[in-house]
Amino acid sequence: MENKLDNFSFANEKEIARSFSKRFQWEMVLIGLGQALVFFSLWPLVILEFIPLSIGAPIATLCALMAYLPSHEAQHGNYSRGKPSRRWIDSLVSHVSLITLMFPHHVMRATHMKHHAYTNDPQKDVDYDVASSKSLLEVFVRTNQSTAKYDKHLEVFKDDKNFVKSFEKGALVGLSYRGSLMALVFFFPLEALFLWWLPSKIGVLYLSTFFSWYPHYQMDIGRYKDTRFWHHLLPRYINHSMQLHFVHHLHPGIGHYDEPKAIEALKPFLIEKGVPGAEEIPDRVSYNPLIKL
Amino acid sequence: MNIFFELLINHIKNWNMVWFGLIFWGSVFNALAEKLGFLANSPNLTFLSFLIGFILGLIAKYRGTWLWKTS
Repeated sequence: MENKLDNFSFANEKEIARSFSKRFQWEMVLIGLGQALVFFSLWPLVILEFIPLSIGAPIATLCALMAYLPSHEAQHGNYSRGKPSRRWIDSLVSHVSLITLMFPHHVMRATHMKHHAYTNDPQKDVDYDVASSKSLLEVFVRTNQSTAKYDKHLEVFKDDKNFVKSFEKGALVGLSYRGSLMALVFFFPLEALFLWWLPSKIGVLYLSTFFSWYPHYQMDIGRYKDTRFWHHLLPRYINHSMQLHFVHHLHPGIGHYDEPKAIEALKPFLIEKGVPGAEEIPDRVSYNPLIKL
Repeated sequence: MNIFFELLINHIKNWNMVWFGLIFWGSVFNALAEKLGFLANSPNLTFLSFLIGFILGLIAKYRGTWLWKTS
């Protein structure tokens, strides 16, 4: 019994997780900067009528769907991996990638760290409003309600100086996004609507659904309890493999594209610790075994 | 200068939905109306478009949300 407990110790779990937390996530850098480049290119291409808006809009929407994860890796410092000389990569990728979604990096990083620290806490988790939604319709409405929830969390964490500082920095960036959108809409109204505003709304809704709602829906508070393994009818690349989001909450340093291998290695630990749905994790997390009709 | 920025930020915080309605939705409605030929003969098309955007923004400000409220 004692031996078994030793085998499943946190130190062992951490050691295995650490072995998947070393690789430079070059795919994410490519996706983050690449989608932003495509997004920026769409503007002259559409305005100068090289491509119609009806083609540009779905491409911009695809860019918005791809925009968050590269920033998410940066928010966890997964490009710099603790090396101060590489922190600029975190900043660059996150700031540039989030332009498509009109999200300020500083606000995202500050609130996401609080989400990890207080997952599913009704008062302190910034994503709780979405995670506690009872239907997709409610996810849609809550996602689009307003930015008032951020003001609420600014009040909740008012004594955390770093949080407030990040928030203030981010608010300025957010304001400049708003200003840019207003300036663009005045001269290019339909382009501003279909290349930026609508894609960003769709992107944020996609994020809320697959990153906040599905993984945390009806989950408890506490390590091993706050995020679940779940199935979906679509291949996992459609939802950025968010069925595997629980391992990110346990070990945020694991690079996104290394999560399947990490989960295979950690599966016995996950079952032993009672991660919701862990028994259903396939032995090989390859392309499509997570599909459930 | 600081007071000016504080006033500006407070104003934007309180009235951002109204400005957004007026400028963003007003411009979009105006462009759509022109594109679709809606009320094409009306000399007040631009004024009407921006007015609708402004009213939408005003309603959103007083309701606190652009969409409906959840419990």
